[in-house]
Amino acid sequence: MSPPPVATARPEVVTEELPRRRQAWIERATSTDHKSVGTLYIGAALAFLVAAVAQLVVMRTQLIVPENTLTDPEIFNRIMSTFAVTGVVLFAIPLALGLFAYISPLQVGARGVAFPRLNLLSFWLFVSGGFTIFGSYLWRPSEAGFAAFPPLSEPLYSNTHGVDAWIVGTALALLGFVCFGVNLVVTLRNMRAPGMAWRRVPLFTWGANLCGYLVIVCGSVMLAALTMLFIDRNFGGVFFDPGYAGAPILYEHLAWFFFSGAFAFIVIFAAGVISDVLPAFARKPLFSHRAAMACMLAIAILGPLTWMRNMYTAPIPTAFLVGAMLFAIALTIPIGLLIYNWIATLWGGALRTRAAALYAIAAISAMTVGLAGDLAWSLIPVGWQIEHTTAAQAATTCVLVGGAVLGGFAALHYWFPKITGRLLGEGLGKAALAAILVGLYVFAAGSFLAGVKGQPTDVYKFFSGEGLDGPNLMASIGAFVMAVGVLLQLGNAAHSWGKGVAVGHDPWAAASLEWFAASPPPIHNFDVVPDVRSAEPLYDIRRAIRDRTHSWRPQTPARPEAPPPEPEPQQEPEPVGQGDSGDAQGGAPVA
Amino acid sequence: MLSLALAAGALALVAAPAAASVLGPRAAHSPNADDIRTAYWVAIIVAALLIVAVHVFLIGALLRYRARRGRSPQRFTAGARAFVRPVVPLVAVVVGLFVFGIAMMSDTRDVQATGPDGLNADAALLAQVNDLSIPPTAHPLNINVIGQRWLWRFEYPGGRPGDRVFSYSELTVPVDTTVLLHFTSTDVTHRWFIPALGGQVDAVPGQDTTTWFRADQVGTYHGQSMSFSGSGFAAMRGWVHVVTPQEYQQFIARKRAGLARAQKDVVKALGESSATGGAP
Repeated sequence: MSPPPVATARPEVVTEELPRRRQAWIERATSTDHKSVGTLYIGAALAFLVAAVAQLVVMRTQLIVPENTLTDPEIFNRIMSTFAVTGVVLFAIPLALGLFAYISPLQVGARGVAFPRLNLLSFWLFVSGGFTIFGSYLWRPSEAGFAAFPPLSEPLYSNTHGVDAWIVGTALALLGFVCFGVNLVVTLRNMRAPGMAWRRVPLFTWGANLCGYLVIVCGSVMLAALTMLFIDRNFGGVFFDPGYAGAPILYEHLAWFFFSGAFAFIVIFAAGVISDVLPAFARKPLFSHRAAMACMLAIAILGPLTWMRNMYTAPIPTAFLVGAMLFAIALTIPIGLLIYNWIATLWGGALRTRAAALYAIAAISAMTVGLAGDLAWSLIPVGWQIEHTTAAQAATTCVLVGGAVLGGFAALHYWFPKITGRLLGEGLGKAALAAILVGLYVFAAGSFLAGVKGQPTDVYKFFSGEGLDGPNLMASIGAFVMAVGVLLQLGNAAHSWGKGVAVGHDPWAAASLEWFAASPPPIHNFDVVPDVRSAEPLYDIRRAIRDRTHSWRPQTPARPEAPPPEPEPQQEPEPVGQGDSGDAQGGAPVA
Repeated sequence: MLSLALAAGALALVAAPAAASVLGPRAAHSPNADDIRTAYWVAIIVAALLIVAVHVFLIGALLRYRARRGRSPQRFTAGARAFVRPVVPLVAVVVGLFVFGIAMMSDTRDVQATGPDGLNADAALLAQVNDLSIPPTAHPLNINVIGQRWLWRFEYPGGRPGDRVFSYSELTVPVDTTVLLHFTSTDVTHRWFIPALGGQVDAVPGQDTTTWFRADQVGTYHGQSMSFSGSGFAAMRGWVHVVTPQEYQQFIARKRAGLARAQKDVVKALGESSATGGAP
């Protein structure tokens, strides 16, 4: 199932005593190769996506009719309390991190990462966190709500160890992410290929850099909050105990700071994917590379600062709320410019409507809907009406599913050939996309209609006669359709892993450096690290190869000075051995 | 063309109230809820316009610039002033929404005085309670609301402290009267929300928060706690009965008499039980 981590590398290393090859699973579990760690991250994140889908289906089945007695409130609350961390901390963030771990070093022409063991450690921390959270299902998981806000999560109201398992599991995963972020940031600062200035770094990797800083800053803040809560629960601390002048609101601030950072993280990840995928399929460069960089930087700075927009109803001085509203509304400018940038990239292009491109466009659509909704709720008086209702949840879901699921699947379609040497099935991928997008919009519309009538989030039942029956049925149907789409796509990926159509190392004729390596890349990534002269190094390499090929031909005197034609990317990717793929790998450094 | 536009306009006029009842919050029955509705409709229309604008261009680009035989992409990138055109409207939207948001926030928080049909309850002692500014002529009815799992306890003004009239889950107030609700909680954080009578507000243990409303119509309005509080969360609902001032006075008198009677019964029962040596 797994690709061999060592491909046939040309510079052969000959030693007297070759180390004995370990069993495949030990090799997989202990390899510090960034590509192996990235694959593990992606696989684990997709496994947790299955768990999140199952949780969503159970919750929406309970909410399909009013006053349903299918599940007890305790059961529902356990699922609800682990759903948010499953979706965000165990699926969305690690999926992005896995792609960053695999692709980013390749994109900047690095032969490895700065701290490979820290990289591997971060994965095992994250996975043990996930197992801790789901392990608590063996006895009694947390019932303290999606972020375990005190005082509800204090021992007086949650006196089982489920909350402790929740805290430890989330903290382990976050500790892993902070370790990962350190490695990512240092790698991208120090190990870029010669000539790979920041202005030439592909936007996916620029997003990786920003996301690295985001997990370090926001993850550490949440780690501090979780530590304080753990001390409160187990060692008699009073950080959040109002009886001893502690402040329950403090935890809300810290937790919302983290979740706002995670939200910005997912938006930036998706922005990076879209900014890499659209140019490759529209077959023209991104409209403005620098503007996209600036916009993503602005989102990374403004995003976490909007945390208090989730707390408009709390006792906080007005000036802070107005500041949060300002940051939240100001986010419209960088997000709007990014969308403008993407549409201008499509404009005048010749878009190959492959699944990756369609997923990217669907991600733009879903994130636009969600972010516009969030913009509406970020007006303070509107927030007083809509926050904490399923309407606000609908907008957030559009952004998170649009960014992490649609954006993540766009990335998977795009880079699957690099990771496995095979295409991810196109037909099933497009069918799954249709199901996910339609399901998402039906779900969001139903949740929105229920939310404006005042249905709170996290509630295990609703009452008939309040106009909530139709919207909840709608939301449930949408969620089921979305779940079918996600599972279809995961099945598609599992099938294509071993049985997909084999392709060469550069199936999309893309511009960035990861396509210069073989598929899957050898352990050292590149035989030759190219000299980067522009933001589209692979175009330069192709042009140089073409020039040399042309120079071998006898020049006809009729048009001696005719410049070589613009390198035309292939119309459609073909199986192995097509185009200039064979020549690019192993070519001399291109001047 | 013109007739088509007119027909569309007429259809919109007919359909708008129906659509508003589906797409909008429950009908407002208090000035602060009115302000929230105004802010809601402006924000949701701006958001809808942004969504439509993006999708027109996105779908347009998708349909128009697909790869076809003989089409080669125009490899252009942004010129020096390429972002002036989109920045100007975006900045206008941001500034407009920000200013509008602040204006509507302070409108919502401006407590309005009790109307002519209302009950002139207390003299306003304070001009400012938390973030609410209260005019001297407000004559508000001050009610303490205590959130506890999983109900609301309302303490009405009048009477000695510790001997005040109270009720659970159902609040009775006079119509056209400014009502100030002072929240706290005895256990976990709860969140008060009666959509017809204004926005949400947290009831946090150890802190006090305030909101206000002035119901314009006799009737019963309901809502539900919005902050997850454990297994009984779904049942933590609230009802506000808005009655005439006379009915309110009768309600308070009836409650007070009932409480006094209950107290007497308790004292009597205690006396009997002590007389029989603690046996029931």
